[in-house]
Amino acid sequence: MKLGLRGAERLRLVVIYSLCAIVLIWALAPIYWVFVSSISTRKELYARPYKIWFPSQPTFESYQTIFTQGAKFRAGGFSPTADLMGAGLRNSIVISVGAAGIVTLLATGAGYAFARMRFPGRNLIFLLIMFMLPLPIWVSLIALFFLMSQLELIDTLLGLILIFVTLLLPLAVWMMTTFVRDIPAEIQDAARVDGANRWRLVYSIILPLARPGMVAVFLVAMLSTWNNFLIPLIFTRTNDSQPLTIVLTLFIGQYEVAWEDMSAAAVVTMLPPFIMALFFQRYLVRGLTMGAVK
Amino acid sequence: MNRRINSDSLYVVIVLAPIVLLIALFIYYPALDTFGQSLTNRNLRIRRPPKPVGAENYLKLVNDDEFWEVTGRSFQVVIMTLPLEMVVAFSIAMLLNQRFPGRGLVRTLAILPWMLPGVVNGFLWGWLLNGEYGALNGLLYQFGLISEYQVWLRAPEHQIFWVTVVQTWTRYAFPTIILLAGLQSIPDDLFDAAKVDGANAFGRVRFITFPLLLPSFGIALVVEFIAAFQIFDVVWTLTAGSSAGGSINPFTKTLMLYNYELVFRDLRVGLGAALSYLILLMSLAVGMIFVLRVYNQGVQEA
Repeated sequence: MKLGLRGAERLRLVVIYSLCAIVLIWALAPIYWVFVSSISTRKELYARPYKIWFPSQPTFESYQTIFTQGAKFRAGGFSPTADLMGAGLRNSIVISVGAAGIVTLLATGAGYAFARMRFPGRNLIFLLIMFMLPLPIWVSLIALFFLMSQLELIDTLLGLILIFVTLLLPLAVWMMTTFVRDIPAEIQDAARVDGANRWRLVYSIILPLARPGMVAVFLVAMLSTWNNFLIPLIFTRTNDSQPLTIVLTLFIGQYEVAWEDMSAAAVVTMLPPFIMALFFQRYLVRGLTMGAVK
Repeated sequence: MNRRINSDSLYVVIVLAPIVLLIALFIYYPALDTFGQSLTNRNLRIRRPPKPVGAENYLKLVNDDEFWEVTGRSFQVVIMTLPLEMVVAFSIAMLLNQRFPGRGLVRTLAILPWMLPGVVNGFLWGWLLNGEYGALNGLLYQFGLISEYQVWLRAPEHQIFWVTVVQTWTRYAFPTIILLAGLQSIPDDLFDAAKVDGANAFGRVRFITFPLLLPSFGIALVVEFIAAFQIFDVVWTLTAGSSAGGSINPFTKTLMLYNYELVFRDLRVGLGAALSYLILLMSLAVGMIFVLRVYNQGVQEA
């Protein structure tokens, strides 16, 4: 009887792990393949029929190529790929860290105000921010393009950061408001009796306690900005401000033949989100599904 | 006391002013402005001051074959994607709801695609499906399932099919997480009681799991409807064609791509603005229908 149970349990685990293997192949095979492509030599990668599922001599040559010898694939009067990749990486980092930092600060200050203070217009302002969530942003983007042209913010990092901060605000404000609301009110009341003003209170009491919420907001904002394509597609023109998601599509358009190099560019583009997803998934999932489950 | 009130209002003004300013200037003012432009014949290709034309742009779209073709395609993508996504998500959620060593790691890896940029996902699959050197051809050929390499993305109906597969691959993690949370909130007692009453595994899923999961399905369907209806990034790199200013592949042109083309390629701003409001109306309407349908059903069956 005991042996039978153990046998049944073993069978259950065999079935479960087999199913897990199928799920993981479905989820990871395309990622694995692009990584293999990026470290293969062209000769092996272009073999027909293809039979090598890991390169016999892994090489990082493609990575070196896309960052240093861009001109090798240059077809017309466009920027060399070396400039594109380097600038793209810089732009992606600047806009995603910049937008995430600013939106985290704004949302923390506002989150405290919405969670703990009463003031005229509080509900109206909160509603106006939250109403953006179901509103497809496309209706705003068309006229925003002409507004940004007038403000001379097209093709600038500042313009992109401002747009991303605005688009991220509803989620960030909501996350911080619920987070501050969950901090016990007694802690703040004690400080209020001691005569601390709001700034002191937020700075020395709320900030340390709200840190996990701020980390979640920062990570979600950074990931969304890094992954975004539509906004830079509309609001950028040159490698002064084009992030990696745009650069990748330029590679595809202009250098149709070099799949190993394009794969390397794709790996560079998805590496930061990939790493964030592996190590900070708890924060990201909580932020990205917030509202749906709450 | 007075000083505190002043310091409080100062705090509120300072933290909320930038937010209100940004949202008013970047979201609400442009949204109104877009609506205003949708009532003009503004076209940047033609050098003339735009004139008000009333609802002409809207009528032009509604009487245009391309508009209906593109709208139909967007709904086709939605109708093909949602069932596929829900089946994949429900299966994975059921699996991850089991207790086994290593579940956390499997969960982390299983929802990775969702966290990657959509344009990268489109590229990944475009390369995977490549007719000359793609891995899918290599794999199927190696196992003897095809006798020669196929160009998977050639026929228009195949292109749409693969768009839905890639959209599913990009998005299935979200419904999986929602359904998993729903599954974990069903008390075990219910299943134990059903077991005692002699219900088999299929019956338990049919009569306990499904009805109790309906609200979770409802949320997942609404969010995924909006995601599939507004599909853009994935199509752009998978099948839209050259991005260096060329024309957009008509066979996978969905509403968002059509709108981008009208405004930023053809520069027909008035017409594009009208289309953006039609898209807004359609998203809201269908979103509402979904919500009401699924929730009513949930209320009746539960």
